[in-house]
Amino acid sequence: MTNLSPADIAGYLRQLGEGALVTLELFLTSFAAAFVLGVLIGVITLSKNRFVRAAWRVYASIFMGVPSLLVIFLVYYGGSAMLSAVFGEFGAAIDISPFGAGVAAFAAVYAAYIAELVRGAIDNLPKGQFEGARALAIPPAVMWGKVILPQAMRLALPGLVNVWSFMLKETPLVSLAGLQDLVASAKIAAGATKEPFLFFIATALVFIAFSALTLKLATVLEIRLDRGIRRTPARASAGAEA
Amino acid sequence: MSGLPIDFDLAWRSLPELLAGLQVTVLITVLPLLFGLALAFPICFARMSARRWLSLPAELFVVFFRGAPLLILLYVVYYGFGQIALLREGPLWLLFGSPFGCAIVALTFNHAAYMTEVLRGSLLAVPGGIVEASEALGISRRHIFIWVKMPLAIRYGLKAYQNEVVSFVKGTAIVSVVTITDLTAVANGIFEQTYDPFTPILCAAALYWAFINLLRIGFELWGRWLGRHQREEASPLTAEAPRRFGLRRLSSLAKAML
Repeated sequence: MTNLSPADIAGYLRQLGEGALVTLELFLTSFAAAFVLGVLIGVITLSKNRFVRAAWRVYASIFMGVPSLLVIFLVYYGGSAMLSAVFGEFGAAIDISPFGAGVAAFAAVYAAYIAELVRGAIDNLPKGQFEGARALAIPPAVMWGKVILPQAMRLALPGLVNVWSFMLKETPLVSLAGLQDLVASAKIAAGATKEPFLFFIATALVFIAFSALTLKLATVLEIRLDRGIRRTPARASAGAEA
Repeated sequence: MSGLPIDFDLAWRSLPELLAGLQVTVLITVLPLLFGLALAFPICFARMSARRWLSLPAELFVVFFRGAPLLILLYVVYYGFGQIALLREGPLWLLFGSPFGCAIVALTFNHAAYMTEVLRGSLLAVPGGIVEASEALGISRRHIFIWVKMPLAIRYGLKAYQNEVVSFVKGTAIVSVVTITDLTAVANGIFEQTYDPFTPILCAAALYWAFINLLRIGFELWGRWLGRHQREEASPLTAEAPRRFGLRRLSSLAKAML
């Protein structure tokens, strides 16, 4: 079926490997940025202030109701203009790379979803946790960092895993803004060799394998975060799940 | 440059073009939603079958078409199937010969894989006792499925279905890569003609937003209609119901994506 020489295959594999690293870097950077931003937004918008809540509703509605691809294009095409509007001359000098546009767009979109999860998780914590921290005169920063968020993360984990695997499947969109990632390399290789099935299906399998691997890790993390709650021994519950 | 980044004159002039793009987007959403749902039923039955030779292929189908990014699926169908000589001569070329057909096929398989899981989850959520009671009453298996299991499964799975439909609509934005002039492609084209980075994309975003929130409202009404028997019991809530229809309600609908 294939008429590629081993040297060709090695060359394309190197190119695909480089692309895969770019994809991985983009994905991890975007997820980290979205996570930090999402937790911050989630905590801040729990405030009782009406304007903060209204701003949150508008933000969440917009970014949950618009395709990520459009947000990527908006940041990529309009990013320089936006930066120069904010920072003046200095901002206009910054060139927006596809990578930067992708990270900014994914961070903005997925921060909304993560903030929603974090808000829900914090809402579901017993009120006594807040009252207890206050009664013990724990400063707010320590209360959030050591008392509230660790418990909220346990509740938010299944949703975060969803966001993780969903975001992974959206990272190839940045190749449409010109990023030389795994999918872009696969497209070049497929076009040059006339072997589209080989390269695209291999690429798809890389995504599936990465997703499966990280879901396994998420299960381990979940068992670990649940260790304070669980009554039955770890082995028994892990066995029941499988 | 004025204070607002939007050029209203350009927005007004490009509106007919954008609406034509929206039509394509709606078409490329509705067709795969119908085909995908129809395909999901047999795949789901195979997936839930006790026979391994039936359930294994169905499981592989779901893992592949859910796990692979939509963009790659589209590339596989668009660039891949064109290579198969057998297909070129066969009647299926009508489908795979056009970008539109390819996009429909890729989106349908993707949606079918997601819907298989939604359907399976909803059917598994139906309490076993109800099914056993129906069997004890001598109701045929077909009637149990249509009149007992499905009505309950729709109620359990509505939220998941809504989330899948909403994320599916957002996913259709990529069909522009195979030269289909959907809403995203139209906005991109206007950008390339005018070099206005904000107006066309923000207008397209507004149309997507309206389309998606219309769907959300539809699902909300459908869910309320399905749950009408529960509302009558909790009468104090009904007086409040119309007011709950604001932006907050809509944004809270998007709680989980998958």
